[in-house]
Amino acid sequence: MEVLGHLAISWLDPWLLFLTAAGTLAGIYVGAIPGLSVTMATSILISFTFKWQVNEALALIAGVFVGGVYGGSRTAILLNIPGAPSAIATALEGYPMAKRGEAGEAIGLTTVMSVFGGFVGIVALALFAPLISSFAIMFNSRDYLLLGMIGILLVGTLSGESFAKGAFAGALGVLIGMVGLDPMTAEGRFTFGSITLMGGIPYVAAMIGFFGVAEALSQLNNLDLPVIKQKIDRIIPKFSDVKRYFRLALRASGIGTIIGALPGTGGDIAALLAYDDARRTTKNPDVPFGEGCKEGLVAPEVANNAAVGGSFVPMLTLGIPGDAVTAVIIGALFIHGLKPGPLLLVETPHLFWFTVGNLALANIFLLIFGLTGIRVFTKIVECPKAILISLIIVLSAVGTYAIQNNPSHVYWMLGFGVAGYFLKTYGFQVGPIILGVILGPMMDANYRRAMIGARGDVGTFLWDFVSHPISLVLSVAFALMLLSQTPLWRPIIAQLRRGR
Amino acid sequence: MSEPSSPTARRPGEVMFCLLLAVFSVTAFWQSFAISGFRGLSEPGVFPMLASATMLVSSLLILKDVLSKPASPDAGFERFRQEVVPLRLVGVIMLILAYVVAMPLLGFVAGSAGFLFLSFWYLWRKGPLVSAVLTAVSLAVIYFIFRQVFQVVLPQGSLMQGLF
Repeated sequence: MEVLGHLAISWLDPWLLFLTAAGTLAGIYVGAIPGLSVTMATSILISFTFKWQVNEALALIAGVFVGGVYGGSRTAILLNIPGAPSAIATALEGYPMAKRGEAGEAIGLTTVMSVFGGFVGIVALALFAPLISSFAIMFNSRDYLLLGMIGILLVGTLSGESFAKGAFAGALGVLIGMVGLDPMTAEGRFTFGSITLMGGIPYVAAMIGFFGVAEALSQLNNLDLPVIKQKIDRIIPKFSDVKRYFRLALRASGIGTIIGALPGTGGDIAALLAYDDARRTTKNPDVPFGEGCKEGLVAPEVANNAAVGGSFVPMLTLGIPGDAVTAVIIGALFIHGLKPGPLLLVETPHLFWFTVGNLALANIFLLIFGLTGIRVFTKIVECPKAILISLIIVLSAVGTYAIQNNPSHVYWMLGFGVAGYFLKTYGFQVGPIILGVILGPMMDANYRRAMIGARGDVGTFLWDFVSHPISLVLSVAFALMLLSQTPLWRPIIAQLRRGR
Repeated sequence: MSEPSSPTARRPGEVMFCLLLAVFSVTAFWQSFAISGFRGLSEPGVFPMLASATMLVSSLLILKDVLSKPASPDAGFERFRQEVVPLRLVGVIMLILAYVVAMPLLGFVAGSAGFLFLSFWYLWRKGPLVSAVLTAVSLAVIYFIFRQVFQVVLPQGSLMQGLF
């Protein structure tokens, strides 16, 4: 009964209901407009909501997340411009459908299937997070250190041009997270005698700089691209279509949930894997893949929405973000005095069940807003980039300033924004930097606890990593990930295949 | 480490950027060492040293990869200026800097009005009247949503105290 009460909080409170609806609606537009990303919107929102009750802030942010992941498909279908990386596969099939005059049908089908995928992800979150959490209580310092390293390594490996660039970005984030007084000894680290630096670099300024300002500056290069217009007709999908793709949707949901739950992956990879799975398993599609095949449209959209629920699993149970957006949401939880990890479900179970209920509510609003207001939508996405960029910068600056009314935070934001622009220009991803900023202090504290536990002896410290079952599994996973990035990996795999 | 999917051509200014990253990494390592040296393995400087060493190794690998790519025949400062640091980018960064400096003095409303008007005019090029109307509408919407609905305390500015 108690769980039901927590689940229903946002359903029964009119203000939370409104915030979830507003977040979902705003998320659809943010996700749909190329140049605006869910991560950017979430990081800006955190700065405006940090004085709110945690439930209110989470309701709005969860709505933006759910709406934003879906919103990317709209422009992918209508303009052949994925609003978000998770909609790349959607564009491959959705745009050819739009060119045949079936844009409304494509949007309707993706809406219904996205909601289905979203619910599967939420059910998985509700079922598996408590199990993982009770298991994670057995983790000790070195396991958290390994989890942090695996998270950053995965984001660095999967999201950028090369492993070295990902590793550099992750380590840079860790270094930024180290600035300030050491929490154990109160010794200054990179403070250069400055009192301002002793408090550390505000990670909201880093988030907004790297995700908001850097993206806005990068978009200046696309300012002169022409606006494409589309006509929309019927939007409610045929029941026969929904029934026909149900099994595929179920499989894609499974892929999305599992991939979303892996630290450092998220909806982008889930969508591409589900698309690939659909292409391999669909024997006789009505239309070939790449020419507007509905199977190819349904699978990625189901998977990227299922990944939302999945990405909350490692965040709430281990304190390790599933993707860039959940990395930002972890920042929001810290700001509200909460500590994501195995004890979150023990100490604040109401917050977990509230999140589950709220994500479900956001999915209901997704269905409503996804199937309505399409004409207004087509007008808004035609908004010139020059206007959007200026507004993003104003929101970023004011949001950073509003946190502590401290102008130095805005300078940090601008500095990170300019640095982020150059890093992005030369093929670095900014996601690992933010992950490093957030996970760095946790990894440092756990490394030192593990080292103190080993009495400063390197041999004992290293032996601990392989002599305990959980640490051994994580160490092997980390070593394999590292090995897979070296030239040795391919010969080893080839040798193993020959041996089989 | 392998560099599987790097683009084939070297981007303008890429070598210089990677060199700067390497220099930054060396400086970061030196500063990390200055925290606590090699006093012990659980000292506050150890993790920063590990992080900056990772940065240094990766930046050298990135540099090696960049140097192995063929340089574009028309690579030079002019291409770097056009593609990486176009005038528009410099202009917008200057505008943001002026906005950031002015906000504590002018406050949110006046500072943002000035920034929005200038950036709309500069980036959209639809004339001062359209830019002014758009500025007023956008500012009114932002002010209403964040100040009235979300109750966010917006910066007032030392020169504009009590006006907004």
